Amino acid sequence: MIAVESLGKRFGDRWIFRGISFELGRGDRLIVLGKNGAGKSTLLKTILGLAEPTEGTARLPEGDPRNSVGYSSMDMTVYPFLTPREHLDMAGQLRGCAPRTDELLGRVGLAEATDRLSGQLSTGMRARLKLALAMQAEPSLLVLDEPGAGLDEQGRRVLDLIVEEQARRGCAIVATNDPGERRLGNLELDLG
Amino acid sequence: MNSIWAEIGAVVRKEALTEMRARNGIATSALFALVTVVAIALATFNRTIDKDMASGLLWVAILFAAVITLPRVMVTEEEQGTADLLRMLARPEAVYWGKCIFNGCQIMAASFILSFLFFGFTHVGLESPGLFALSVFGGSMGLAGSATMCGALVARAANRAMLAGAIAVPLLLPLVALGVSGMRVAIGPIEADFVYDAGVRAVIGLDCYGIATLAIGVLIFPFAWKS
Repeated sequence: MIAVESLGKRFGDRWIFRGISFELGRGDRLIVLGKNGAGKSTLLKTILGLAEPTEGTARLPEGDPRNSVGYSSMDMTVYPFLTPREHLDMAGQLRGCAPRTDELLGRVGLAEATDRLSGQLSTGMRARLKLALAMQAEPSLLVLDEPGAGLDEQGRRVLDLIVEEQARRGCAIVATNDPGERRLGNLELDLG
Repeated sequence: MNSIWAEIGAVVRKEALTEMRARNGIATSALFALVTVVAIALATFNRTIDKDMASGLLWVAILFAAVITLPRVMVTEEEQGTADLLRMLARPEAVYWGKCIFNGCQIMAASFILSFLFFGFTHVGLESPGLFALSVFGGSMGLAGSATMCGALVARAANRAMLAGAIAVPLLLPLVALGVSGMRVAIGPIEADFVYDAGVRAVIGLDCYGIATLAIGVLIFPFAWKS
């Protein structure tokens, strides 16, 4: 489903990571571990094509990446002046898929906040909205960067269910520095 | 594959909703327009403004009203961290056209408001409203294309303001030259036919320049947006 070969990223003279290779198939959930600054987020962005690799390649699942890949990250912000409903409607229109607005917002526990501006939501609620956006097109690859940050206990259960469901549909990559989130994966990559 | 028109529509709708609720661009433009026109009116109180000077002043005001607000449309996406979300969801062409259409409408609205205030406060007459409208239309397209392109090119740079200036100046100079010539004829009166013809050609040139800027922008934008 996804193949990463000798991937490396350098900023100036410093290699953030180098020689990263792996393949993931259906059911795989790779946990990317590492301390702050180890390059977890940069690795995910490089795999997704949001950052140019210095060397190596990453092959994503076939099809339009907007539908075959779902991404949620701490760095990525939702629009503060749009509501969760407007986010999902817009994303559905851009991706050309069914927005599944009520279903997804219900699943991530935002049914009561569908028409509140995202800027007025808590950090945890915005994290849930990003999860809903990532899942919308039922992607083959789900990439989550620090997905547990800001989530409460109920939010973490939702996250567990999402990753489990993803394993049945395709594969997932989860970057974290929370040892507790190792439970989400069956494979590990430690960036140190 | 999803229709590009639906995607462009989604980007325009997103921009419009955000602007309607945040009121960053329109409010800044309106405030700038009011202050500029009041300053010009006070400076020329009880005097008649020379028509050549009036066309230049009006274009300077339109240009600055656009320049202080339009690049923000791209830069804000990077600064608030929403650019990656948009990159994951939309094709670059849809982002470009969506933002250009929204920017164009915004600057056109700002230009007409500014012009209305300008003509009202300074008592300068308008001889040819048709030429004036075409001049504002071409100028708005050129400014929207230039601002969207410049915004995308500088959005991720550390020294954005300086870089934006360096890129924008060569793009905006021909636009201003054509705009002032066209506006001069629109304000009138024109004594000689050949001056009128030159003004009409300037307005046609301005509209063509606007279209060319948009066309070049769509070729450059995907590289600036993705890299």
